[in-house]
Amino acid sequence: MRARLPDRAGVVQRDGVRVAFEVFGHGEPAMLLVPASPITHARSWKGIVPTLARRFTVITTDGRGTGRSDRPRTSERYAPAEVTADLLAVLDAAGVGRAILVAHCHAVPWALCLAADHPERASGLLAIDPAVALAPPHPHNVEPDRRWADPVDAPTGWSMRNRHFWRQDGGYRQWIEFFFGQQLPEPHSTKQYEDTTGWALDTDAEAMIAEREGRAAPSAGETEALCRQVRCPVRVLHGSDDRCQPVARGRRLAELTGGDLVVLEGAGHLPHCRDPVKVTRLIAGFADKITGAPMHATTWTRGPCRLPRALYLSSPIGLGHARRDVAVARELKRLRPELEIDWLAQHPVTAVLEAEGEHIHPASQWLASESAHVAAEADGHDLHCFQALRRMDEILVANFMVFQEAVEDGHYELIIGDEAWDVDYYWHENPELKRGQNVWLTDFVGYLPMPDGGDREAFLTTDYNAEMIEHIDRYPWIRDRAIFVGHEGDIVPDTFGGNLPGIRDWTTRHFSYSGYITGFTPPQPEEVAPLRSRLGYRDDELVCVVAVGGSGVGQSLIEKVVAAYPLAKKAVPELRMIVVTGPRIDPAAFSQHAGLELRGYVHRLYEHLCACDLAIVQGGLTTTMELTAAKRPFLYFPLGHHFEQNFHVRHRLDRYGAGQCMDYATTDPDLIAARITELAGKPVSYRDVETDGAARAAQLIAELI
Amino acid sequence: MRARYPDADGIVVRDGVEIRYERYGEGWPPIMLLPTWSLVHSRHWKMQVPYLARHFTVVCFDGRGSGGSGRPAGASAYSDAAFASDALAVMDSAGIGSAVLVSVSRGALWALRLCAGHPDRVLGAVFIAPTASLVPPLPERRVQRFGEVLDDPVGWQTYNAHYWKTHYPEFVTFFVGRIFTDRHSTKQIEDATGWALETDGETLMAAHLGLECCDAAATRRLAARVACPVLVMHGTHDAVRGYAEGEALADCTGGALVTLAGAGHFPQARDPVRVNLLIKQFADRVRR
Repeated sequence: MRARLPDRAGVVQRDGVRVAFEVFGHGEPAMLLVPASPITHARSWKGIVPTLARRFTVITTDGRGTGRSDRPRTSERYAPAEVTADLLAVLDAAGVGRAILVAHCHAVPWALCLAADHPERASGLLAIDPAVALAPPHPHNVEPDRRWADPVDAPTGWSMRNRHFWRQDGGYRQWIEFFFGQQLPEPHSTKQYEDTTGWALDTDAEAMIAEREGRAAPSAGETEALCRQVRCPVRVLHGSDDRCQPVARGRRLAELTGGDLVVLEGAGHLPHCRDPVKVTRLIAGFADKITGAPMHATTWTRGPCRLPRALYLSSPIGLGHARRDVAVARELKRLRPELEIDWLAQHPVTAVLEAEGEHIHPASQWLASESAHVAAEADGHDLHCFQALRRMDEILVANFMVFQEAVEDGHYELIIGDEAWDVDYYWHENPELKRGQNVWLTDFVGYLPMPDGGDREAFLTTDYNAEMIEHIDRYPWIRDRAIFVGHEGDIVPDTFGGNLPGIRDWTTRHFSYSGYITGFTPPQPEEVAPLRSRLGYRDDELVCVVAVGGSGVGQSLIEKVVAAYPLAKKAVPELRMIVVTGPRIDPAAFSQHAGLELRGYVHRLYEHLCACDLAIVQGGLTTTMELTAAKRPFLYFPLGHHFEQNFHVRHRLDRYGAGQCMDYATTDPDLIAARITELAGKPVSYRDVETDGAARAAQLIAELI
Repeated sequence: MRARYPDADGIVVRDGVEIRYERYGEGWPPIMLLPTWSLVHSRHWKMQVPYLARHFTVVCFDGRGSGGSGRPAGASAYSDAAFASDALAVMDSAGIGSAVLVSVSRGALWALRLCAGHPDRVLGAVFIAPTASLVPPLPERRVQRFGEVLDDPVGWQTYNAHYWKTHYPEFVTFFVGRIFTDRHSTKQIEDATGWALETDGETLMAAHLGLECCDAAATRRLAARVACPVLVMHGTHDAVRGYAEGEALADCTGGALVTLAGAGHFPQARDPVRVNLLIKQFADRVRR
C-alpha cells in the first residue's frame, strides 16, 4: 500500500503523447519532481513524497516512455524540447505557476533548460546526482558509450549498455539488473534494488533506445551557457560513490550556478531511494531557504523548568501491543509520577488508548496506516509478514518523519518504542537525529525465512538480520535500553542466518529481559465464576470465544470456525460460541446460527478470554499468551507465511506447554468441531506466566531518567 | 578576556553626542544589535556576538547615556527618535545599508520606529522581551510613583527619580534582581550590575523621561506600519514586562511568537543558546 495517495491525478497530451502526473498536498512552494525517465518513473520518489506533501504542493510525473505515460518508439519524440514542454504542460495542468524543480541524473539537463528558458516557472533547482557534461564521465562508461550502436558479442558489465544487446532476448533485463546493482553500492539495499529494477522493467528496450538516441544532452559548453542563464537558487546533492555520474559533475554544477553542494559520503546514485530521510530534509530546507518561510509560533521551555516527558510508540499492527504498553506506562507513572507520557499511535491502538484516558499526540493524525497496509497484504489466512514489512518501507519512512518532527518540537527526553521499526531503523541510518533516551521493546528477535521461500528468502532474512546487527554494533548508543518481552528460553534456538550469531546468545548480550507482560492479572480459579457471571456466561454452558485480533486479517478463519459451529453444537449441546470479529470486520458478514453470537470490537476482550472454556484464535503472541496466563484451553492457527507466528510464537507456546497449534490449510470444519468437543472445559497444565512483567519493564525504563 | 574582539570599531557624532559602535564578522544579512535602556550598554549582547559574527556581519553600539557613548544632559536628548537616528548613523558609518534589527526590552521602541519610518533599512526585526506599553504594567509595579518624593521606598517604589539621585546603586540591585529571577543567575546579575554602575542616576532619569512612545495606541500605530518579517520572544516569567506584552506585539505586527517558558526579562543573557539559535534561524529566512 502507498503511504499517501495523490490528491489529484491526470494526464497531459502533446502531439498525441500522453504524460501522467500526480499532485499531492497544497502548501507553498510547489515542487515538481522530475525522474530520469524512462529508466525510472514517479514511484522512485515514494520515500520522500508523503513527508514533503504535508508542507508543500508536490507534483510528480512519470515522464514519457514509462509508468502511466505513453511509450513513443521514435527518438525525436524524446528530444529535450519535448520533455521540457511536457514538464511545462504538467505545471499548467496542475495549476502551478512556479515550482522548485527537483531532478535526478539525466533529468537535470531538462530542468536546467526549463529554468534557463522559463525563469518565471522555476523558483529553484535541486539536482540529485546530475548527469551534466561539466566533467568527464566515469572511465567505465566511455568505451560502451562509443560502441553504443555497434553490434557486440556477449557483452558483460558496462558494455551491456548497447542497443543491440538490449534488443536480444533478456538483454535489457540483464543490463538493468547489472546497472542497478552498480547504482546501489550501499549494503542492505535489496528492497531498493527490487524497486528500481521493477520500475525500469515497466518500460522496454525500444522506448529506452529511442530515449537514449533522442536525448541530445547538452555539451559541456552548452551546459555552461545554461548554468550562466539560470538565476534561481540551486542546490546539488551528489553521492560520493555514484557510479553513474562522477561527483565532479555535481561540484561543477554547483560552482557554475552559485549553488550549494551537499556531498552524501558513502551514498550511491539513488540517495532519494536509499537515504530518503536525509534527502527529504535537504529538499525541505532548500525550500524554506528559498521562500524565507516565516517562523511559526512555538514554545521553548528552559531546560531546568521542564517536566520529564516521554513519547510512547505502540506498534499498530494488530491490537496486541496496546494493552501491554498501557500497563508499562501505568507502572512507569507509579515510579515517576511527574512523568508526562504522550502517545504517537494510530488506529486501532488509539481506540484502546482513548478508552484508557491516555494522551495522544496530535501529530498522530499524520501517520500512514500500517494496519491497513498489513490488511492489504493479507490473503485469506495468509500473511507473509516479512515481505509485508519490506513493502511497508514508504509507510515507515513517512511515519518516521512525523515522529522526528514531534520529537524535535516536543522536548521529549524519553522515547519508548514498542516495536517501532521506523524509529529504530532510521535512527541507526541517520544517527545524528537521535534525541533523548531511547528504549526499544520487542517480543521477538530475528527474521526467519519460511521454508517455501527457498534460498532467496533465506538470503533476504539474513541480510536484514545482518543490517540490524551492524546497526547495533556500530551505534550502541542509539538504543539506550533494549527490552525483550519474555525470557531467554522464549527465544528460538535458530541463528540469524549465514555466518551470523545464534539469536539467543546475541539477544542475551544486547537485551534485558522483562519477562512476559500480560497487561492484566489473570483471575484466580475462585475468581472465574464471578467473572463469568459478570460477563453473562452461565455455569452450565461451555463458552467458546473466537477472536482474530484487531486487523482485518481473520475473515477466513472465522468463516471456517462458523462452519464448524453446527457440527460442534450437535456434539456439545451446551456449547455457546462468541465470535469477536474486531473493529475492521463486519460481524454481519457471516451466517447466523442459534447459540452463535457475532460481535465487533469488545473492550477488555482479555476478560472474556479468561472466563471462557475454550478459545479459537490466530497465532498472534498477545492473545495466545493471555490464554496461557489465564490457563484456558485453546486452538491457535498461525497465519500462513507469518514467520513470527509460525516460529517465534509457536516456540514460546511450546515452552509454556500451552495451546494446540492447528494448520489452517489442512483443517476442515469437522476437525475443528472434533477439537472443540475434545478440549472445551478441560483442565490444562501450563507453565505459569508472571504478572510483574510490566513493573519489571517499567523499572528498566525508569532507570534511564 | 572577550570571546571575540571587534574587527572594527568607531565613533559617530550626532548633535555633539558621541556614539561608540563595534563591528564584527561578515555575512549576509547584517545583524544590528540595538541598545536598550541606558541602564546597560552593548556588552549585554556578549553571549550573542561571537556566535552570530561567525555567520553574519554584526554591529552593536552603546546607547547614548551608557558605556563608551556620550551622556548628554536633559530628557530631550534621549527621545526614541534620537536612539533610532543613532542606529541609522551607526549603520551608515559601518557601511550597512539594511539589517535585521534585534532589540531587547525598551530597544523595541527604537526598532519599531526604524521599521515604520525606514523600511528600506530593515530586513526583519527580532524583539526580545519587548517593552512597548501595549499592555498594562505588571500588577506589582502599580506602586511606582516616578516623580514623587517617597519616604523609604521599597521594591518597585524605588523606580523613582528622587531615589535614584541618592540611592542609585540600591535601585540597580533591586532592578537587576527583577531582570534575573531565574535561580543560579549570579553571574548575569554581577555583569548587569557592573554595566549599570558605569552610568548614573541622573543620566538614567533623563533616559526615562525622554521616552516618547508610552501608550498602546502610539505603539499600535507604529506596529501597523511594520512590513518586514517579525519574531518576538518573551519569557513567561518576565518580572519586568509581562509575557502578555510579547503576545500583543506579535499580534499587532503579525510576527511569530516564541514563548520562552520559564524565562525572565533578559533571556539573551540567561538563555543565550536558544536565543542565538532563534536569531540565526530568523536571519537565515530573510530574503535577499
